[in-house]
Parts: sequence; C-alpha cells; structure tokens
Amino acid sequence: MKLGNSLLQLALWGVAALPTVTAAAWGFTDATVSVHTKGAGVGTGSKDVIPDKKALSKPVALGSADTLKVTLTAQEGSSAKQANQVFLLLQDPETGLDISYPFSVKNNGKSRLELAMKDLPLQFLAPSKPLEARFLIGSFGTSAAYNGVAFPLTVARDPNEPVPTVEVSRYGKLPEIHHIFKTDAQSPPVAITLVFVAMALACLPVLGGVWLFLGVNVKQLPTALQSAPLSHTIFLGSLLAIEGVFFLYYTHWNLFQMLPAVAAAGTVAFVSGSRALGEVQGRRLAGLR
Amino acid sequence: MRWCLSLLSFCFLAVAHALSSSGNRLLVVLEDADDKGLYSTFWSDLEARGYDLDFQSPKSSDLSLFKYGEKAYDHLLILPPRSKGLGPALSPKNIVDFVNDDGNVLLGLSGKSTTPSAISSLLIELDFHMSSDRSSVVVDHFNYDTISAPEKHDVLIVPRPGQLRPDTKDFFGGEGVLAFPTASPHTLGDDNNLVAPIVRAPATAYSYNPKESAGSVEEVAATGSQLDIVSAMQGRNSARFTLLGSVESLQDQWFSATVKTPSGKKTQTANREFAQQLTAWTFKETGVLKVGKVEHSLATDVELKEPNPAMYRVKNEIVYSIELSEYDQDRFVPFEVPTNDALQLEFTMLSPFHRLDLEPLGRTANSTIYGTRFTVPDQHGIFSFRVNYKRPFFSNIEEKEEVTVRHFAHDEYPRSWKITGGWVWIAGLWSVIGGFLAFVVVWLYSAPKATVDSKKTQ
Repeated sequence: MKLGNSLLQLALWGVAALPTVTAAAWGFTDATVSVHTKGAGVGTGSKDVIPDKKALSKPVALGSADTLKVTLTAQEGSSAKQANQVFLLLQDPETGLDISYPFSVKNNGKSRLELAMKDLPLQFLAPSKPLEARFLIGSFGTSAAYNGVAFPLTVARDPNEPVPTVEVSRYGKLPEIHHIFKTDAQSPPVAITLVFVAMALACLPVLGGVWLFLGVNVKQLPTALQSAPLSHTIFLGSLLAIEGVFFLYYTHWNLFQMLPAVAAAGTVAFVSGSRALGEVQGRRLAGLR
Repeated sequence: MRWCLSLLSFCFLAVAHALSSSGNRLLVVLEDADDKGLYSTFWSDLEARGYDLDFQSPKSSDLSLFKYGEKAYDHLLILPPRSKGLGPALSPKNIVDFVNDDGNVLLGLSGKSTTPSAISSLLIELDFHMSSDRSSVVVDHFNYDTISAPEKHDVLIVPRPGQLRPDTKDFFGGEGVLAFPTASPHTLGDDNNLVAPIVRAPATAYSYNPKESAGSVEEVAATGSQLDIVSAMQGRNSARFTLLGSVESLQDQWFSATVKTPSGKKTQTANREFAQQLTAWTFKETGVLKVGKVEHSLATDVELKEPNPAMYRVKNEIVYSIELSEYDQDRFVPFEVPTNDALQLEFTMLSPFHRLDLEPLGRTANSTIYGTRFTVPDQHGIFSFRVNYKRPFFSNIEEKEEVTVRHFAHDEYPRSWKITGGWVWIAGLWSVIGGFLAFVVVWLYSAPKATVDSKKTQ
C-alpha cells in the first residue's frame, strides 16, 4: 500500500514536472458581461463579449439601479464541464480587499451571475481605482485552476449621495490633542497708557495752579507751628505715616502687618489731630481765618 | 524598599517559571491517547521551553480547571474531541471562567470532524463565528499542496503571516510557508477590537463542506481573506485565547514536510517555527508589557526633590515619564513602540485635555523610559495622567494617576505695576493721595485773602 502510494506520488511528480503531459487546465468560453438598468427597455444596456482567457480592456460601469449579468461556460480542457468553484472575485487594487461571488452553475458548465450595487460591501462603493474582476474556475483533481482578470469594474455612484461609512472600533493610536489655552489679558500700547498717566498726574499741578489763582497760601504755618508745634508736626507726620503704611501694604506687607500699624498711626493722628484742630479753632476765634 | 521587594519577587518568579511570564502548568486536553504520538515534536518543544505538561482526557472524572477556587493550570491546550463535546469539566462557561481568571487557551480545530456545538457556542461568546454546518474545510485550488493532496486540495499552503497592520508588531513573521491540512475556517466579529486575525486564507480560497455532494459551490458565507484560519482574542485582562483552525499542522509530519503549490517550487514547511511563535504568544512568552516607575513633577524641579506631587497649578510646566518593559521569551527587555504607532499620555478630566505622544528618553538594562513635557491646561479640577496602551497582540496597559489642579493663588498673579494698562489707575490713586495731603495742609494753614480781610476789618 505504502509502496503504491509513493509510486503514485512519484507518478504525480512526473506529471507535474512535464507540463506538456499535464492534465487539462480549466478555462471558459462564451463569456459575456452585460449591464441592465432597471426600468429601461429591453436591449438598452451594454453587452460585451469577453474573449476566452483574456480580459476585457474597457471598464464596465455599474450604476446604483443597474444589474450586472455575467455568463460563461466553464471548460476543462476544451470540453464544457461543471466546476466546483466558479467565482467572480472582486479585488480593490489599492487596499487588497477581496470578495467572491459564486456563479450558479448548470451540469453542462453554463454559469450565470447577477450582481447589483447593493450586493457590494460598503468598502467597494467608492474605490479610488476601478475594481478588478477576476474569474476563478477550479475544481478537485489535477487540472490546473484558472485565475485571470475578466474586466475592470467601475462603480458609478450618484455623486450627490454620500458614501455610506461604517465605524468600527480598533485599538490603535489616536490623534494628538493639544489644549487650546484662553488668550492672556492684553494691555493697550504703552504709549497710550503713558498719555493717560500723564493726564492723571497732570491733575495735581492743575489743582495747584487753580489754588494759586484763587489765592491759596500757607501763610499761617509759622503761627501754627509757634503756638502748637508738637501737635501739628505729629498730626501731619501721622497722616504721612498712614499713607506710607498703605504704600508698604501695596508693595509687600500683608493685612496683619498693616492693620496694627495703621491703628497706631490712626490713634496718634486722632489725638494729635484734635489738638491741632483746637489750635485752628483758636485762630478762627481770633478772627485770623 | 518596595523596589527591593518587587525585584525579589521577580527573581522568585523567574526561578519558579523558567519561561512564560504567567506560569508553566499546561493542561493538554487530548481525547485519544494514541494521538499523542503524532505530536511528539510539539510536546518535546514545549517541555524544552519549561512547560509542565499534563495530558488529560476530557472524559477523565478528576479533570477540573479549578482547585479550591484557584486555577489548577496556567494554560490550556485543547485538541479537537472526536465525541460530541468536551464534557462537564470543560463546558463553555468553565473555559470562559478560566480565561476571566487570566488563564490562556489554545484551541485547535480540525476540518476532519464536525466541530461540537459546545465548542462553537464557546467561540461565539468570544466573537469567532463558524459556518452553520460546523464541518467545512478551507479549499483553495491555487494554493494547495500538490504532493499530499493532489485530489482533494485541502492542504492549504500559505506564506508566513506578516504584520497585521503597519502599526503593529510582527510576532508571527519569518521565512517559509505554512501548511494547514484540513483547516476549519472561521470568521471574526466585525466590531470587536479584542479579536485579531493571525493567518487568513488566500483570496482564492473558499469554504467547502465535503459532505455536500452538490457539483458546484453556490452558497458561501465568506470567501477569500475573510476566512480566518488562525485568530487570537486577548481579553481586557490580557488573557489570551488562540483559535487554530488546523490542529494537524502541529503534527510531526507537517513540522518538516516538503510541500509544493501548483505554481511554486518544492519547499520545506515552517510549521515548527510558527507553532513555537503561536504557543509563545498564547502562553505569554512574548508581547507581555510591564510598567515600571511612573514619575511626574514640575519641569523646574530638575533634581526631583518632590516627585509625584498630588497638586499642580494651572499653567504649570510638567514633565512625565513612564518606564516600560516587554517580556521576550525568558526575560524583560526594553520595550520599543512599533513604527507608525505611538505611546500616548492623556491628561484628562472627563475627556482628554492633552493627548501627547511619549518620546523615548532613556533606556535601562530591561526597560525604556518614555516621557514628555507639557503645560497644565488653564482649567482647575481633578485631572488624571492616563496611559492607555491597548494594541493587538500586546498585553494591555492602563495606568492612571489622579492629581488636583488648582487655580492661581491670590499672590501668584502678576502685581499691578507689571500690567502696563494698570498704570493709569495707579497714577490716579497717587495723585489723589497727593491732592489730599496738599488739601490738608492748605486747609490747616491757608490765610484768607486780603479782600476778605478788609471786609472783616470793616
């Protein structure tokens, strides 16, 4: 038995090695491809004959209302015969995706296939290049199977209709995200700021000028310092000190450093201020103001 | 201290388990003890790699995947049963429980016998679909072995698989061709990112039920490369389940067979190398990732005085780094992200505010340090650093660390004099203060005008 097997194998190798002796190869004849539009009259669509074992050079267009009909007769060698596999293989040359449609085959090898656009998978609805349609004809046994290009197939979709898409989840890298920050607060140009600063500071000399025009003076300062020197100096000094404390608070002190200092300076200002104002009252009573 | 402990435990693991990163107890479910001899090279290869093989018949009464509530085995290899099912110990539920408990499974099928419905219902749970008759064989009249199957064309010859996608690592590649005798085909669920094909049938292949006597195939569920012969499922817990459509491809005779396709030359099959790659992946010798140290800190804190603080401020500059190792056969090696792929860090609060590719910063003896530097978004709240690296054939990484992001404290804003637009108000304030002081002096010491004086004297 074993010997018989190996003899058979040897014989088969011999067969494989000598192509001239090879058993018949699969092929086809009488192949046609036609496109019928639904609703259009008989005999309107296109019909092309595919030469045996060759490809149709002109592309076949399949519209959304069209039906593609392919007929052929499978042959083993030169005799028509039913093959186990008579498929129309569609392949996207860009992505390499493939799908096969089996023909319905009669005993005498006559095969036919009808294909509408709804039979195509979504991925084939908007190919960048024409799909490649191939005939696959093969069966069990030693005959070589046939795999050849039959015709290019273009999918003629209504351009206004969106191409249906399918969302599938696959693990992979995701697009990068960079947070968009809110824009920082903007200052006006420094030149404009400086104009307004100058205007704000100019108020002081304007005030002084108006006062001088109205005859404001400090003529009673020596009198006041003479009659109550301590309380006037301390009062003015404490007012300055309060402003100074506020300046320190603005630049680097905190509230708890500022409050006792202001309280102390404020008390001093209150006590010395009442004395100083007493002196001012004295001048008023004396008719000096 | 923790580092020492983990190093110590790693050493223990390394001693206890010579090879796989997850244990070496392998249960082989084999119905017919006579078949064991057909796979002798495969068994000895597994034993040489440190596995402890336990052959059991599915009919054996003391067979159980669990003992005292724990897994009794780390890995499971099931050869197709001749009888109608795998028995009560290997019910689909038990096998799914085993996978849920981090067990790895390699399930072989064969087109020679009808696949039991128990196995097909297990496969449906994992999103592998078989044809409804469960006894189909992949036939390809263009890529079969003319030496062993000149008549039936059911010994499929396919090249070694390459990369699944341009951004995945190739765990199963190499030179040579693979022979899959009487392969039982399956298809994969469309929308499932846990399953991945390893070997697909060629475009010209189709599935055929030898019991049907019809002259020509007219009804097909799937054809060509939609038929899968070897596929893998990796759960969220990184447990692996591999489905091998042709268990005969593991037999001794196919490990070093000479095959010839109708159009090609005679070649040796590479089934032995492929079986090694397939079992190595399934039993977690390859593609297992481990996270080492994860560190983040302020970019200004170069000496890492305060690593991993619990709080950051908006707009802080942060540096983040993560250490990754990959288990390769018997040790951890530095993990390299495949080309076209990226390891990404997300800084998220509900949704990611930043998603950044991490760059390799350095390499240690068995790990690579990936890191990046970024500015915290101007939004306060509870954020987390997330590295969620899930890719086909790599075990899953999901690292998450929460940090608080606070806003600026009152003394962290720029002072008013630094804002040029504020100068007008500052100048106005000081001119009012100056005016007030001048007014006090004037009010206290100004003498009335002479005209007023003359009126008073009158």
